[in-house]
Order: sequence, then structure tokens, then C-alpha cells
Amino acid sequence: MISDITFGQYFPSNSVIHRLDPRIKFLLLIFIIVFIFIGNMYGIGLSLLFSIVIMILSKIPLKVYLKNLKVILPIIIFTGLINMLYVKTGTILVDWWKITITVDGIYKAIFMAVRIALLIIISSTLTYTTTPNDLTDAIERLCKPLKFIGLGTVVHMLTMMMTIALRFIPTLIEETQKIMNAQKARGADIESGGLISRVKALVPILIPLIILSVRRAYDLAEAMECRCYNGGVGKQRMKQLHLRFSDFFALFVCLIWGGLIILIKIFLG
Amino acid sequence: MPILKTENLTYTYAPATPFKHTAVNNISFSVEKGEITGIIGHTGSGKSTLLQLLNGLLKPTDGKVYFNGNDIWQDPKKIGLYRFKIGLVFQYPEYQLFEETVKEDIAYGPKNMKLSPEEIEQRVNEAVSIVGLKEHLLEKSPFDLSGGEKRRAAIAGIMAMKPEIIVFDEPTAGLDPIGRETVFEAIKKYRRDNDATIIIVSHSMEDMASICDKIIVLNDGNVVMHDSVAEVFKNADKLKKIGLNVPIVTDVLLTLKEMGADISVEHFTVRSAADFLISKIKGGAHLD
Repeated sequence: MISDITFGQYFPSNSVIHRLDPRIKFLLLIFIIVFIFIGNMYGIGLSLLFSIVIMILSKIPLKVYLKNLKVILPIIIFTGLINMLYVKTGTILVDWWKITITVDGIYKAIFMAVRIALLIIISSTLTYTTTPNDLTDAIERLCKPLKFIGLGTVVHMLTMMMTIALRFIPTLIEETQKIMNAQKARGADIESGGLISRVKALVPILIPLIILSVRRAYDLAEAMECRCYNGGVGKQRMKQLHLRFSDFFALFVCLIWGGLIILIKIFLG
Repeated sequence: MPILKTENLTYTYAPATPFKHTAVNNISFSVEKGEITGIIGHTGSGKSTLLQLLNGLLKPTDGKVYFNGNDIWQDPKKIGLYRFKIGLVFQYPEYQLFEETVKEDIAYGPKNMKLSPEEIEQRVNEAVSIVGLKEHLLEKSPFDLSGGEKRRAAIAGIMAMKPEIIVFDEPTAGLDPIGRETVFEAIKKYRRDNDATIIIVSHSMEDMASICDKIIVLNDGNVVMHDSVAEVFKNADKLKKIGLNVPIVTDVLLTLKEMGADISVEHFTVRSAADFLISKIKGGAHLD
């Protein structure tokens, strides 16, 4: 059902990773993604190890990660297959009709599959361990330098929009569920039937959802204006972020990992 | 045989996560045909979950719901049939109105029952006359109606399916006294015309006292009391302990009694309390 989609959902816990500064977490995510891509066949092994350590440290059940991976499993399999079929170098294992499978192909397939899986695991770690508000806050602060080229309000507007969007995702999910229930109580059949009848069955759900959302947007705008929202000019923050020792330590560990990836690439490529 | 019966009904939200929460815990009760049963309980006492379990929108984690003696989840594919027999009117009409005209919206349920166009037309007209929606509103968009009219249109949408039981979630919340009266009249009329059974959830003890035959009191997902209106509202202390109250008139009588007046406190509507007090005073009683 709808509520099963956990992608980008905060998972409360009190782990080391949860307590890291969101800015550092965000930067490290980008750093790790880049280095997963830089890494070669041996590097990916190290990255796998590194990701497993992060997963354990985050104290988030393996089941939650696997649920996310299940969603993109088709993409992983597809990428793996394509790579397996198109690499023609190395010892040939199967050569039948137009299909040739080589040892190199299989290695490449595993390499790509693991790489995609790691990307998903690392990005979901960020969203599992950081509340949406912290995340957009971090983005806004990281974009601060943009104000020197006159983009200060633009950055604020974008992050405000993001905050609002993220804030209302659970509300929308809840509302969709309620509307679905109300229509199911009148005999709407959403789960069976052919493609056309399923699309038709969405109309009674989408119309109330859109109308409610538009009305809520007006209400929210009015409520913000009533509290003198003026687009963030001169706004002060209730929550100040401070870098702590653990943040620098995390940065240090990631840099070492990145360095190893590069060394492996140079000497074991 | 009771028309609706629950047996050890239990529902747990998000099992096996940190958000795990048992909203309905081992509830067993039965409702006789033709009764109006009220369900009262503090916010978060499991009322809404219970309602959705009753008409098969939620599948119980444990336990059973019987309609006329049949387990409604015996064949999950046929759960749709029971949703037509046990209607559920949600609190907010905004969640269900979507068609271009009020009339088409009311016809949505009967259409899903695959009835003939004549039958649908007849049922829609019948439902409209029960809830008392004016003729000229039928061709309007449901989004142009007032709050009370929307509520009545939503109720008509369920009544047009002619369910044997209708479950109402806060049918009068946010309505003015006249709107409230209209809704209750409609509910009573539907019950009379169709020999139907009614279950109502409400926060208004006055409404419950005036319309219900029996009341179920929920607290933390458990049934605390299930008895006639008089028996339930006798327990003012017990109700107050779980964050509920008795009708205001009963509260007034209780205070009078505490002050030393020798009166009965078993009056739950303004009408009956007033009649009682007048007769008491005429009889020469001292209320000071």
C-alpha cells in the first residue's frame, strides 16, 4: 500500500549518524557518491565494506534498507544484464546464437549492480537519519555563498518550497489514504480490473486530493502572511548548528576512505 | 442473532516498527438490528480504527467481525459486498465529493453496485428526500455547496446504497444547531424507512443522549462500558476519569445534588430535565 513507500522517510533513532551535523552529512553524501563512481572493481569492495559499516552505525534495521532496494531491484537487474551481454572480452563461458557471456561480463555486471545498490543505500542513509527540515536547513546554509552573487532570496525561496513540499508529503499520503477509504466505502474498486478501469478509478481519488491541496496552499499562504512572513529577509534561526568533534572525525574517516579508493585505482587498476 | 458482532477484534498499526501502535485491543461486542448505538471515547481511543474495521476497510490484525452471523473476511474477494451492506460516512465530506454534479456524486455508490439506471435514479431521489437536499442543488457542483449541504450530500451518497447498517463518524461536527438537527432527522428517517441499524461516533454527549439507544465507551482501544444511555451516563465519575463527560444538563443536576438537593440525576436531555425540575418545584420541593 501507499504507506509502504519508505524512500526519503525519517527513521527515528539515536545513532552516531543521526547526531552528525546535517551539513556535514549532506556534503559527505555527495563526496561518497563521487568516490563510489571513481572506484574501480577493487575499490567497490572497499566501498561495500564502508557502506556496511555506515549501515551498522546508523542503527536502522536491515529490513528497512532492503525494502528500499526491492523497489529498484528491476533497475539493478536490468543494468546487470545489459552489462553482462555487451562485454565481449575475456574468457567466453557461453556462446549461443547471438548471446556471448564472458567472465569479464559477469564481473562487470556484478560491479554495476553493487554500485547502484550502494548509491541507494548511501542516499537512503541520509534521508533515514536526517529529518526533512534539517536537510533543507542544511541545503540553505550550504547555499549561503550564493547571496554574494545576488541569489540570496532565490535560495531562500527554493529551500522554503522544499521544506513545505517535504513537510506535506506525509499529510498528502494520509489524505490520499482517507480519500481512498471514503471511495472504497462507496464501492470504488482500485486494486483490480484492467489498465483503463484502474486509471478511471483514480479520478474519484485525484479530484478531492487536488481540491484539498489547492485549498490548503491558500490557507498556508494566509497563515504565513498573518505571521509576517516576508520571504526570509532578516530571518533569524531558532536552531543553530555547531560543528563538533564527531563531525570532523566523520569527515576525516571519509577522506581516508576516498584516499584509499584513489590509491587502489592507481596501483590495482 | 445480532446483526453485527465483533469477537476479540484487534488492530495494530505499523507492526514491527518503532511506530507500532495497537489502536483496537481485543474488542468484543454485538449490536442488535434496529438499534442506534453511540460510540464515545477520547481522541486516540481507537474510535476511527474501530469504524473502519466494522465495514471492512481495515483487515483486523486479530479477531473477527460478523455481519448476520457471517465472518466478513471469510473470502477477502467478497469484502466489497459487505461494504455495500455496512455503509460508512466519514467525517469530512470533502474526502468523497468529486463528481460534476451533486446528483452524479450521490449516484456513485449505486453505480458501483451495478444497478440499473432506473433503480439508481429512484434510489438517488429517495436518499435526497431523506436528507432534505433542495431540488435545485442537485445540478450544482458539490464544491459550491455550503458545509451543511456538503455533509448531507455525502450522507445521501451512502444512503443511496441502502446499507443495512450505517456507521457515522462525527456526522454533526462543525454544523450549527439547525444543521445538526437536520442530519439527525435524516438518520432517524432512514432507520425508520429501511429498518436499518445505526452506529454513531460523536463528541457531543447531548447528541448521544438524545438519539442513541445504547452507548459503547472506548478507552485506549478497549470497551469500558456497553449499556443503555441511562446506565452509561449514571457513571459520571468513571466517564470523567477517562476524559469524557456527561450531558451538560446531567452535570447541572449532579451539581444540584452535591449542593444538597434531593433529586434524581438520571435525566440526559434538556427537555426531560426541565420537565422533571418543574414537576419537582410544583410539588413543593426545596432546591436551595
